[in-house]
Amino acid sequence: MNDLLLSILVFSPLLGILVLCMISRSNERAVKWAGILATVPALALSLFLYSSYLGGSDLSAFSIKLDWIRFGNLADVDSKLFAVDYELALDGFALLMVLLTAVLSTLAAIASVSISKEWKGYFMLFLLLETGMLGVFMAQNMVLFFIFFEITLIPAFFLIGKWGYFEKEKAAYSFLIYNGFGSAVLLIVIMVLFARAGTSNIEALSYIINVGGVSLVAPISEGMKYGLLIALLIAFGVKLPIFPLHTWMLRVHVQAPPPIVMLHAGVLLKIGAFGLIRFGLGIFPEQFKDLSVIIAVLGVINLLYGAFLAFIQNEFKMVLAYSSISHMGIVLIGLGALNESGIQGAIFQVVSHGLIAALLFFLVGVIHERVQTTALPNLGGLSHNMPLTSGFLLAGAMASLGLPGMSGFISEFMAFLGLFKTDPLLAGIGALGIIITAVYLLRAVMGMTFGRQGASVRTRLVSDLNALEMVPVLVLLAFIVTIGVYPTILSNPLEDTIQLIMTGIRGQAG
Amino acid sequence: MMENAWIIPLFPLISFLLLLLLGKRLKESSAYIGIAFTLFSLIFSLLVLGDRFTSPTYKTGAEWLKIGDVRIRAGFEVNQLNALMLVIVSLVSFLVHMYSKGYMQGEKRFSVFYAYLGLFTFAMLGLVISPNLLQLYVFWELVGLGSFLLIGFYFYKEEAKQAAKKAFIMTRIGDVGLFIGMILLFWETGSFEYDAIFKAAHEGNLSEGMITLTAILIFIGAMGKSGQFPLHTWLPDAMEGPTPVSALIHAATMVAAGVYLVASMFPLFSESSTAMLIVAATGAFTAIFAASIGLVQTDIKRVLAYSTVSQLGYMMLALGTAGYVAGVFHLMTHAFFKALLFLAAGSVIHAVHTQNIEEMGGLWKKLRITGPLFLIGTLAISGVPLFSGFFSKDEILVSAWNHGNYFLFLLALIAAFFTAFYMFRLFFLVFAGVPKKEAGNVHESPASMTIPMLVLGVLAIVSGYVNTPWFGTFLGDWLTKGNTYLEHGHGDSPVWIMLAATIVSLAGIILAYLIYSKRTISRDWLGGQGSMLHNILFNKYYADEFYNLSIVRLTGILGVFFSYIDRFIVEGLVSLVTGTVQKLGKMGSRMQTGQVQQYGTIAFFGLAVLLILFALTGGIFE
Amino acid sequence: MNSVPLSAYLVLALILFCIGLYGALTKRNAVIVLISIELMLNAVNINLVAFSKLGTAPSISGQIFTLFTITVAAVEAAVGLAILMSLYNRRKTVNVDEMDQLKH
Repeated sequence: MNDLLLSILVFSPLLGILVLCMISRSNERAVKWAGILATVPALALSLFLYSSYLGGSDLSAFSIKLDWIRFGNLADVDSKLFAVDYELALDGFALLMVLLTAVLSTLAAIASVSISKEWKGYFMLFLLLETGMLGVFMAQNMVLFFIFFEITLIPAFFLIGKWGYFEKEKAAYSFLIYNGFGSAVLLIVIMVLFARAGTSNIEALSYIINVGGVSLVAPISEGMKYGLLIALLIAFGVKLPIFPLHTWMLRVHVQAPPPIVMLHAGVLLKIGAFGLIRFGLGIFPEQFKDLSVIIAVLGVINLLYGAFLAFIQNEFKMVLAYSSISHMGIVLIGLGALNESGIQGAIFQVVSHGLIAALLFFLVGVIHERVQTTALPNLGGLSHNMPLTSGFLLAGAMASLGLPGMSGFISEFMAFLGLFKTDPLLAGIGALGIIITAVYLLRAVMGMTFGRQGASVRTRLVSDLNALEMVPVLVLLAFIVTIGVYPTILSNPLEDTIQLIMTGIRGQAG
Repeated sequence: MMENAWIIPLFPLISFLLLLLLGKRLKESSAYIGIAFTLFSLIFSLLVLGDRFTSPTYKTGAEWLKIGDVRIRAGFEVNQLNALMLVIVSLVSFLVHMYSKGYMQGEKRFSVFYAYLGLFTFAMLGLVISPNLLQLYVFWELVGLGSFLLIGFYFYKEEAKQAAKKAFIMTRIGDVGLFIGMILLFWETGSFEYDAIFKAAHEGNLSEGMITLTAILIFIGAMGKSGQFPLHTWLPDAMEGPTPVSALIHAATMVAAGVYLVASMFPLFSESSTAMLIVAATGAFTAIFAASIGLVQTDIKRVLAYSTVSQLGYMMLALGTAGYVAGVFHLMTHAFFKALLFLAAGSVIHAVHTQNIEEMGGLWKKLRITGPLFLIGTLAISGVPLFSGFFSKDEILVSAWNHGNYFLFLLALIAAFFTAFYMFRLFFLVFAGVPKKEAGNVHESPASMTIPMLVLGVLAIVSGYVNTPWFGTFLGDWLTKGNTYLEHGHGDSPVWIMLAATIVSLAGIILAYLIYSKRTISRDWLGGQGSMLHNILFNKYYADEFYNLSIVRLTGILGVFFSYIDRFIVEGLVSLVTGTVQKLGKMGSRMQTGQVQQYGTIAFFGLAVLLILFALTGGIFE
Repeated sequence: MNSVPLSAYLVLALILFCIGLYGALTKRNAVIVLISIELMLNAVNINLVAFSKLGTAPSISGQIFTLFTITVAAVEAAVGLAILMSLYNRRKTVNVDEMDQLKH
């Protein structure tokens, strides 16, 4: 039973799709409830795993490994080589990501109540997307990872292209093209490694590259390692996104339906960070070390570039989109610092930004639904009609700008703490971003909620959050504050992962 | 008692949470919750202070965050400075809570106001009992949040919105300094704990340059919070918030947090003479700079705000000239008399519904309680003998003189003259003379407002006697007792300094009297309204305009610049790639004529070429 | 009997194939194109038969394949002509230049 648990967790949303097949497409209420409920098993399972992990049980008890595809016994190569197994497992980091995915999926499903057409198709794609996201974090070999990675791509494309706003098709295509490009690069990396090392298992690859002493089908030269790492950086850089590969995600953030943006900003972007840490740092730690300065510089560029651009936007969603770019800079800064606090900060930022972005985009969805716009010049004085929404929006902004007591601060603090050790000057420049973040977020949020009522607000009867909408907001805020006040809740599960990464960086010999 | 000091900040936090949940139902009775919980805090603070007199410093903590091998701890500490600050903060907060019940009556978001007050008090109390820099930073930011929320309390007012935003951002600029300084210190000393840092600095484990750099960075943080030049412009604007807030946050507690920070990091500062000089010079300059602006302002709260900035400069000057006791002493007395002044100003505003002092006058007879109390505050801040401000200001002047920096001493003396002058200008314009407009409905404020003022009034007189050259320097002895890094300068305090300070302040008062009450000297004797000097002062040396034109504009320009990069270079590259692919596709499709024979021909020749190549080279793949 | 060398058959097949190829690629009349294709097929047949008799490993299978090829060629000609007929009925032309509908 234990070894089936992860498979059940991954594929439980598919069960929801089956159920949805049996519900008439016109029965809006049933479809929506089925859609929401279908995300619950995954949530319950991941909560169970998390609590049992905190309780001290070993996560490896849940891992599963089945024979899957065998590419023949090529000549006299070891028969174990050129096999792709179906193997799922979790470590602390992956568990956190799975938990984040499960929580955000349920909340996004609740937020999807506002979807106004073709609910059935929407929820089917939504659940497929969830399966893909869950699988990505558990896959133990690169081929399986890639398959789940692609599974996220297709539903996301349709969800954006069909249920989005005005320019949804364009957004969906640029999403597909950029991510397709990223996937292609990733596939090349996977195939090269697979062809040369004969395995795609992450652990085995890490051992082969770093420890060596294993006879390979074809050798992997030092130069090729750098090439592969840079290719990985590009592949996941599209996803993260890293400047200058970011323009697609602006369109997606603006055009996609809010629940999808919640998932997109909350989880899909994080796959980029996850991949960089898992593959980049995990398989090529020594090469990563040599590139770390570049990564830190890219991080600072992301941070400042996104912040400055967010400052001049007149559309709230654009502000948030650029703010996502800016915040992903902190992930890179942490990774570039390449010490415990930096990496821990990067991972914290991954989780924390997932929660915060989801909260903000949920509220954006709520506001857009009521006011039909999120353009800053048309808004203002929302606090009159929507005091709760405005208050939560402000809370979200505060979390985002790194107010202590909320999760954003912890990650920002640790990332900068890390970078100040390795490169104080660069960190000092990056710290300017802290100021600008406050400037643009306050400008945007206060522009919406404070002051006189804007044209779009005045002319409509605008109601505040209802009971169902309070659920995601409160849950997300509770997570954000809990992590902010008691960060150990995140850092404990991460301990082993980070130790492992650090051993890799210090060199296996040492 | 001291081991339970952690509970002190929790009371206001509970009040905050309770009011958030129940505020809608409680309406104006929310006030009782807020008052009750801050009263608990006050009682506990007094008990802790009482305990601290007899027992040594108490410090405890637990692991909060683990980063690799690094353990970051959270806890609390009760030393002399903390204990004193706890009492000041909880006392002023309690009085302001009481006062607000009357002042905010009829406000729609009454319970929200009290909730915010609770949040702020929580953060401020948490700040003062923090045993390490990181925890201080956490509360430091939360205090900023409380201030931000309360300044923007009247969220529908455009000015309040701008002021709140400005306050948050300006202080955050300073905060980044503190943030960097804190992290640098951490990597240098391996700890955020004060004692570890002081130990490392004292034992010479840090280079001279690093001490100076970190001290200055931390001081930048203090400048932001305490409104020191050039980060001062937010503080006067913060007067858009309700007046009790101005009394609590922007006079007595939060703005003093910068001074508190420098005071609690004093052992670090004292290791670097450069840093000390910068602190002293910034303080002295701010003192005279803000005082000169205060001379011409017409908004009652803004005059007080500039006087706050100026007095904070005084405190910094004291700390920068090694006058640790003087700085803390003035921090305490200032908290009382400035809170009193603000509350009294609030009472005046409550009565006449305007903040413009040109429209007031002759209120002495109408406001029989507020008037005398305001006078006490004015006398105290002007440094008139026997009032609290006199003793603390004297201590500062002595410290500046003994430190040997006579130029700064002179600046301080001039600032003292300015202070006396503009405060009495304010007093005479508001209370003396005849009523400017027919204000028949001017009435004294209710008891909930006057009682806190009375308490503060008493304190504004007597709080100076804890540290006087006549009756003993009790406060100074106690503050420095057992602290190896501090030594209480028992340097002789020349009597002539006290005399000079008295003369200067009396001169200021007399001048103000002659101009604004007796009117024997024209108001325009040094350049009237419209003159250049007046314009410069009235427009606060155009600091805001300068910032708008330089920094704000620059940020905007950078933003636009980056957006062009985004639109043209990044997007341009992308469209170049997609364009090329599209072009290639077009070319390919143009070759598709539909002529099967043509295809066949091409295929045939292609095959032929391949075969020839194969024949010539023997194949590429062996 | 064996005086005719293998190369002679191959040269004949080559000539036939080239004529067929030339015709298939250049002629405008679809009927001629079809006939040319038959020529090429038959060139292949000659090769098959020649190799089955004179190749390094002579066997009967080459001749059997030829029978198959002839059958397939007949079928192909029938289908091709049928298509051509229906095209002619529809468009009144057998000119291959006008048959570029595949492009669209």
